[in-house]
Amino acid sequence: MPSSSDGPRPTFGPRLARRARSFRVPDWVYGLAAVLFLLGLWEFAVAQEWISAFRFPPPSKLARTFEALLERGFPRGITTDVHLKATLQRILQGYSAAAVLAIPLGLFIGSSPYLDRASMPVITFARSVATISLLPLAVAWFGVGEFTRIFLIAYGCFWIILTNAVEAVKGVPRQYLFAAQSLGASPAQIFFRVMLPASLPRIFSGMRVALGMAFLVIIAAEMVGTITGLGALIMEARNFYRTDVTMVGMLFIAIIGFLLAHILGWLERILLPWVSDLEEVQR
Amino acid sequence: MNEPRLFQRNLIASWAGVIVVLLVWQVINALELVNPGIFPGPLQIADTALHRFPLADVLGHVRASMQRVIFGFLIGGSLGMVLGIASGWYRLLGKFLWGPIEILRPIPPLAWIPIALMWFGLGEQSKVFIISLGAFFPVITSTYSGMRRIDPMLFRAAQSVGLKGPRLLLKIAIPAALPDIAVGIRVGWSLSFGSLVAAEVLAANKGLGYMVMYGREVGEVEVIVYGIILIGLLNLLTDYLLYNVLFKRQLKWHFG
Amino acid sequence: MGKPIAIDHVTKRFKTNTEADQGVALEDVSLRIEPNEFVAIVGRSGCGKTTLLNMIAGFLQPTSGSIRVGDEAVNAPSPERGMVFQQAALFPWLTALENIEFGPRNQGVPKAQRREQARALIELVHLTGSEKKYPRELSGGMQQRVAIARALAMDPDILLMDEPFGALDELTRSEMQQELLRIWEAEKKTVVFVTHSISEALFLSDRIVVLSPHPGRLRAEFRVAMPRPRARASQEFMSLYEEIHSAIF
Repeated sequence: MPSSSDGPRPTFGPRLARRARSFRVPDWVYGLAAVLFLLGLWEFAVAQEWISAFRFPPPSKLARTFEALLERGFPRGITTDVHLKATLQRILQGYSAAAVLAIPLGLFIGSSPYLDRASMPVITFARSVATISLLPLAVAWFGVGEFTRIFLIAYGCFWIILTNAVEAVKGVPRQYLFAAQSLGASPAQIFFRVMLPASLPRIFSGMRVALGMAFLVIIAAEMVGTITGLGALIMEARNFYRTDVTMVGMLFIAIIGFLLAHILGWLERILLPWVSDLEEVQR
Repeated sequence: MNEPRLFQRNLIASWAGVIVVLLVWQVINALELVNPGIFPGPLQIADTALHRFPLADVLGHVRASMQRVIFGFLIGGSLGMVLGIASGWYRLLGKFLWGPIEILRPIPPLAWIPIALMWFGLGEQSKVFIISLGAFFPVITSTYSGMRRIDPMLFRAAQSVGLKGPRLLLKIAIPAALPDIAVGIRVGWSLSFGSLVAAEVLAANKGLGYMVMYGREVGEVEVIVYGIILIGLLNLLTDYLLYNVLFKRQLKWHFG
Repeated sequence: MGKPIAIDHVTKRFKTNTEADQGVALEDVSLRIEPNEFVAIVGRSGCGKTTLLNMIAGFLQPTSGSIRVGDEAVNAPSPERGMVFQQAALFPWLTALENIEFGPRNQGVPKAQRREQARALIELVHLTGSEKKYPRELSGGMQQRVAIARALAMDPDILLMDEPFGALDELTRSEMQQELLRIWEAEKKTVVFVTHSISEALFLSDRIVVLSPHPGRLRAEFRVAMPRPRARASQEFMSLYEEIHSAIF
């Protein structure tokens, strides 16, 4: 959740909130306190046997498992970094394949109203196809190997990046084109020096959403047919009834998910310093 | 208002794309450029749809899927909305809730499957749980953000005519936050739907995802593709209904 | 030496509407603008003044009639007819300096030369110090200065301005009007200035052309002979204002 740094706002909650604000405790302290409290409560509840240690391994056990995963790995020998590398590699390959194809294609389609209208129903449908539902089909075509997983990621990302690239081109304000024309720019110059930079923010937006999708897809795709990767890790853990490994695995997933979600945002701030508000495109 | 000719041209262009794709697909299939056993053509799929799978069966699967997804969506969505409104209104609650939510949010709903199976067993509950997770996070995030982004001017205007407390929340805050909430609902639905399919593909005995898996198990690729297409169409349809019928009508002042 | 703009019996019809009257944006407009003249085009919304300006620029073609600059007909945009838009339309990914350099860069002007030229223009529009700022860091008035400098970088004979100060607040607006006059006196270009403020038109221009809407027709012309800078409270100013006002309404 965003921190409350959007300027003075009247408080409409209880007086306690107002008093708390006057001490200027940063917001994240509350969040951290809540998490620590819940963890403490959890530990306590297990110690008191309110909940079973089997179904809810206490944080103390999870900490030990965390270490064990890093050193010895799970299943034996496959340490966390192996899992991480597997997942990230798959994401990287599928994602970049999708981007390399979708961005130029999207720019092309966006520049042509007829192409845009003709392709819209097809693209809309293809995007509505739930990527996971393609898993059995991909397996039938490509087997259970790496390519299947990479293909699924690529599929899921492709349509998102494509639609955003098309919208990016369509959304370039006509004023920019007029201004460029009246400054004597040739059509090629207009494309590379106006359309392209003007489209970048929206393309980036699509790439952010697509990365989220890639992560979603890979976790699911890794649950079948492989024992490396974060998705595989938590699935394997279940087969061995190691709830603690599952939970630590989920923690890793949360961390990687968080990093992935923010990496592009950080990159965008560096590459596109002129964009004033980096709005999240929801679809 | 629009020239009829322009409208017709647009319509033709839209259909042209679809027709071209179908034609190319059928030609590839007819020429057997790819093994039709694993790459069926549109006519084969149509045949499967009409003969292999009676409509009643298909509707049964559709109903099973829709029941799950609507149920899970309502649970996750309403919880998300309630908590989102509460944490947006009572700042302190929002600050406390922020921590746990931010930690759990990046975890894809499907990653909860092993835990869900552990806690709820193999039955319907675990699937509904996953689906509700899909709806919960987008909805709570958008609702909270919607509540936070309300223009303070609206409150001052309302207070100057004497509104305060719960009525302020109900009559001003929530309607003002609705556009953002609506976006969250739309995303939440899409995520729920995706989670449904995944949950069914991975483990179910009824439903569209199951249908796809079944096709794989009996080695009939047409059934797989048929199921995939059905899922895609259903996704499109529900999103269209949600956006065009619900949002545009009820929130005409924003989306119209 | 500048070239005159000859607008000959120009009619513009748009194809989107079926109702005969509303489809005609401009009907039989004829006008001649002399080199180095500052001409303002005023009128109510819908009178076609922006359409006329866009046609002089070359973005639109007349349905009938012609627009010539010197001997040549206008049928495409050209750097000879620089344009300044109401929304500045600065490229947000370029700094102020880079925006100004945009035109020359596309013409292949070497870096050192165009940089020097751009710096001179920044000085002209009184923006020294803001070279490396992005448009979003500039105020509305500053953005318009950059827009003017950008158009001037191509050394156009003609400057076309479409309500450039319309989005600015009152104070900035009058400041920019004075700035524009100063720049115009330094650079000596033909200026065609569209506005719906009679006061602005009177303050700035040599001649005011009034268009009336539905369909757009030339209603009246006024020669403004007062020496500059003009006092808005003077008798002559106010009586001209009344005349123009009644011509419009």
